[in-house]
Amino acid sequence: MKIKKILSVLLAAIMMLSVVLTGCGKADEETGKTGDEVKAAKKIIVFQSKVEIIDQLEALAEEYKAETGVEVEVWGTTGDDYLQQLKIKLGNNQGPTVFSLVPGAESEELKNYLTDLSDISFVDDIAKNMANEINSKVVGIPYTMEGFGVVYNKSLIDASKITDTASFIQMLKDQKAAGTNGFSLSQESYFLIGHILNTPFALQANPLDYINKLVAGEVKMQDTPEFKEFAELMVAVRENTNNPLEVNYDTQTGDFATGKSASIHQGNWSYGMFKDYDVNFEMGMMPLPISGNDKIAAAVPACWYVNSQATAEEIKAGKDFLNWLYTSETGKKYLMEEFGFIPVVSTMESPTLDPLSASVSEYAAAGKTIGWPNSYWPAGIVDVYLVPVAQEFFTTDMTADEFLEALTNAFVEAGKAK
Amino acid sequence: MKKIRDKAWYALFVSPLIFVFTTVVIIPFIIGIGYSFISWDGMPLNEKTFVGFDNYIRLFVDKRFMTSAGHTVLFTIFAVLLINVLGLFFALLVTSKLKARNAVRTMLFMPYLIGGLILGYIWKFIFTDVFKSIGELTGWTKVFFSWLLDPQYALAAMIVVTTWQMAGYIMIIYINGIQAMPEDIIEAGKVDGAGFWQTLFRIKFPLIMPSFTISLFLTLSNCFKIFDVNFSLTGGGPNNATEMMAMNIYNEIFSLSNYGYGQAKAIIFFIAVAIITLIQVSITKKREVEM
Repeated sequence: MKIKKILSVLLAAIMMLSVVLTGCGKADEETGKTGDEVKAAKKIIVFQSKVEIIDQLEALAEEYKAETGVEVEVWGTTGDDYLQQLKIKLGNNQGPTVFSLVPGAESEELKNYLTDLSDISFVDDIAKNMANEINSKVVGIPYTMEGFGVVYNKSLIDASKITDTASFIQMLKDQKAAGTNGFSLSQESYFLIGHILNTPFALQANPLDYINKLVAGEVKMQDTPEFKEFAELMVAVRENTNNPLEVNYDTQTGDFATGKSASIHQGNWSYGMFKDYDVNFEMGMMPLPISGNDKIAAAVPACWYVNSQATAEEIKAGKDFLNWLYTSETGKKYLMEEFGFIPVVSTMESPTLDPLSASVSEYAAAGKTIGWPNSYWPAGIVDVYLVPVAQEFFTTDMTADEFLEALTNAFVEAGKAK
Repeated sequence: MKKIRDKAWYALFVSPLIFVFTTVVIIPFIIGIGYSFISWDGMPLNEKTFVGFDNYIRLFVDKRFMTSAGHTVLFTIFAVLLINVLGLFFALLVTSKLKARNAVRTMLFMPYLIGGLILGYIWKFIFTDVFKSIGELTGWTKVFFSWLLDPQYALAAMIVVTTWQMAGYIMIIYINGIQAMPEDIIEAGKVDGAGFWQTLFRIKFPLIMPSFTISLFLTLSNCFKIFDVNFSLTGGGPNNATEMMAMNIYNEIFSLSNYGYGQAKAIIFFIAVAIITLIQVSITKKREVEM
């Protein structure tokens, strides 16, 4: 009898414990209180998606601690699963204080977790349309400006001759005849389809409206002239260049740096990849010339956000950190020299830029940029829906029309999933 | 008194396990069933809507989910057969009078010690770069080309890699069964004039039936749930031709943020795997012989 009692007590204890343990996750803290009496926390956590700047960011954290006494812990990421990790951490109330997102569908999805940053001192100095605003409140501080287009070898290609789809296709054929690879994409989802498909969207009169109609099935890519030219260009790419599915980012940039490829579809971020090579030619960036496009796709790749679910003290500390980063001498030095960011705040002037960033900067200064409507595509569409279509396109004899039809269906499917 | 003390010991050792099992398996599972009836993107502050059985109804007309189920079945059939045939063959090989049997045993088991993710990346290199180079060097481009770009060959590549990983492990289970076999019965069979094949099918196989039960169960459930190799080797491509069920669920939940719908898929997936493995176990159990 006794044993039974003990057993049942044990069992009850186990159940109690498990209830307590599962309950723990739900313990809510009082959050969101703001006021002058709030003191900044002594420690904040930063989690962000740009893998290239993690080491520099850690060095910056050291300096920040030396200057202000506030500890900044930087969480690492491999880049690929950043958003998933972030969502899991935010969902468990173990989120970082300061984090990054791509402004657009991502920040829209997580808007409940974003603090209003309108009271940060330099908000008014941010270049026009660069800050992420939701419900007309500034919630995201832009990192930098990035642009992508056709990165080309100036000794192999004369950019002034490539002004439309036909001349681009002619270039591909000429290069093939000369034994070089005219143009290269690579197998990674955005480098394969995500970026290049952005251009025909951006060329629409109202890109966001077009996306909504496309998802709703009201318009079709196969009926839109810009997309038709895009598909025509892609067919020419398939016929005249390496199969991008066999090329990864390393080989794509390596072949370009060694002169085996005359051009690649990349952005100014890829310049770092050329450091390991003795590049003996000048490079530049030109627009993807479908429908006579003469603009580079340039926008803010990511913004800083402050977690609205952190304690008031942490939120204050997070804002202080961003303030320091964009206004103090040390912070500005890091942004421009160590991170290599193109300034987005009018009080900053970047002295030296690599050739690709300089191209982007020039196009931006001349007003010749198109945006990144691809950040408003249904979330997750590139990896789950568009990559398979592109893979099929590059491994079969799919025609231009079939390709566009499959892409259109992908948008409808991805939109339906919501 | 002794009985009571035994029970106390029993409780002492079992209760931590029950506790862990309840907290990390049973409770999340029950919560998961709850989630499968709502439409939600996984963020606690965002809206959850109760949709009843909509998620379940939807998944039966979800073409992509159904195709991935088809791939999984196809993959499982071939992989289970291949793994068990090879595992058994290896086991017979290393329990024979082969000189290098210990070295062979170690080498065959080695792939299992490498994690599936890393294994996938290694083989990805082999199937794309190495195969292509071999093809270019030898001219046998019909066999040696980038396998991962062809839908059928990519599925075959999955089977090859999984077999390479699992066969050594299954071999160990078969070795166990073979070594537990009483020599005298086999000898008696030989005296009675049984040949090699007769000994193998009439005496050895019935005697190692318990090993078949375990091996088939492990390979069946593992192949159905395959994810790591899938993720790193093919990523589901080309054109979703190798997207297995686990990967489809992963994409639904983590890439498309459909937690409720993905959870409903996971529940159906669980039921399917449970039914299939239970059927298998009950069939093979019946065929085990008592000594």
